[in-house]
Amino acid sequence: MQEVRFRVFRYDPDKDGRRSYQTYTVPTFKGMTVLQGLLHIKEKIDPTLSIRFSCRMATCGSCGMMINGLPRLACYTLIEELKTRTITVEPLRNFPIIKDLVTDFEEFFTKHRWVKPYLIRLDTYEQEKSNVSYRQSDEELEHYIQFAYCIKCGLCYAACPVTATDKEFLGPQALAQAYRYYADSRDEGGVDRLRPLAEGSRLLRCHFAGSCSKVCPKGVDPALAIQLLRREVLLRT
Amino acid sequence: MSRLSIALKTWLIPVRYGLERWSYTLQRVSGVAIILFFVMHIAETGNVVGGPTVWTIPPYEYARQVWNETKEFLANPIFDIGLVLLAFMIFFHTFNGIRLTLVHFGVLLEKPKRPEYPYHPGSMSKAQRALFWLSIVLATAAIIYSLDVFFKVLQI
Ligand code: SF4
Ligand code: FES
Repeated sequence: MQEVRFRVFRYDPDKDGRRSYQTYTVPTFKGMTVLQGLLHIKEKIDPTLSIRFSCRMATCGSCGMMINGLPRLACYTLIEELKTRTITVEPLRNFPIIKDLVTDFEEFFTKHRWVKPYLIRLDTYEQEKSNVSYRQSDEELEHYIQFAYCIKCGLCYAACPVTATDKEFLGPQALAQAYRYYADSRDEGGVDRLRPLAEGSRLLRCHFAGSCSKVCPKGVDPALAIQLLRREVLLRT
Repeated sequence: MSRLSIALKTWLIPVRYGLERWSYTLQRVSGVAIILFFVMHIAETGNVVGGPTVWTIPPYEYARQVWNETKEFLANPIFDIGLVLLAFMIFFHTFNGIRLTLVHFGVLLEKPKRPEYPYHPGSMSKAQRALFWLSIVLATAAIIYSLDVFFKVLQI
């Protein structure tokens, strides 16, 4: 059986609050994921290690972390594919750290909520109490379905160089969702969705570094959504 | 990490994130370099008329002396290399800037599609990448031309 070394970022604010790396040796098997490696550490070597995960199948979006310097889902990354004998695991960048590999998503979800990630209907009764179904053609669905695949894992947010330094910028995930609802034929938000985005650096600060789309584990392509959204903002507001 | 070190790291280290991140870094670095050059250029050519003192005395003799000194100071291969690099930066920044403007209007990008594994993001389209490479080619041509101007390497 082969082995790999895990170099894991450690931080515990309740202890000494020091940031350090700890190395563990983990036996591997074919098809083993980074998450399985971390769980081996937690179960067999060091139960004090904190990680967040749930589905183990790239669906819940909770196991995002920096693996060998790139934001990835631990459950969706095979140890084999990394092709290194030492795997460095750190918490996601651009997120405050709670403990070890667990990060705080408060700001991320606040921004997500800020773009109103739901269908807006002009009829207020319908908005609150609707029980009708809305028809949509296949073609209309194609306009936004790609962006509806987002699992809110935050990898794009961790990869974005603009998010790193500008907190007013809403970030790739929230902006992709802003476009996802704007482009939905059932949504009546229209230009009212666009106006708040035209202000300051909320949207326009995107410099098209494309790193979000590079790391998205679901093929959502936030960089594309942001440019399409920006076109609408530039032409319609 | 302090805000400044995060900024420098994300600005200046484009590795691992692909071509668009390189474009981002080069565009920023070239933008800053062009602005710095512009400020230095204004200050240095201001010497021709004797710098800020021109506003107080008719400074012809003084200006000639300062200008000659400036010219001597600038007659240094290090500044020539700086200008050669600047030629690259200006050409790259201009053409890549056109590419970015088009991209910001959604031009050159593919339409949204259902994600099928392995994913090929439509934002990383061939068209916008071709324009990136075109900017690099034009900027490299500018380097070759300016190398010849300053160092007579090619004798074009
Ligand atoms: S857009 Fe992709 S990377 Fe970003 S949160 Fe959604 S699934 Fe994760
Ligand atoms: S554990 Fe759910 S996405 Fe990895």
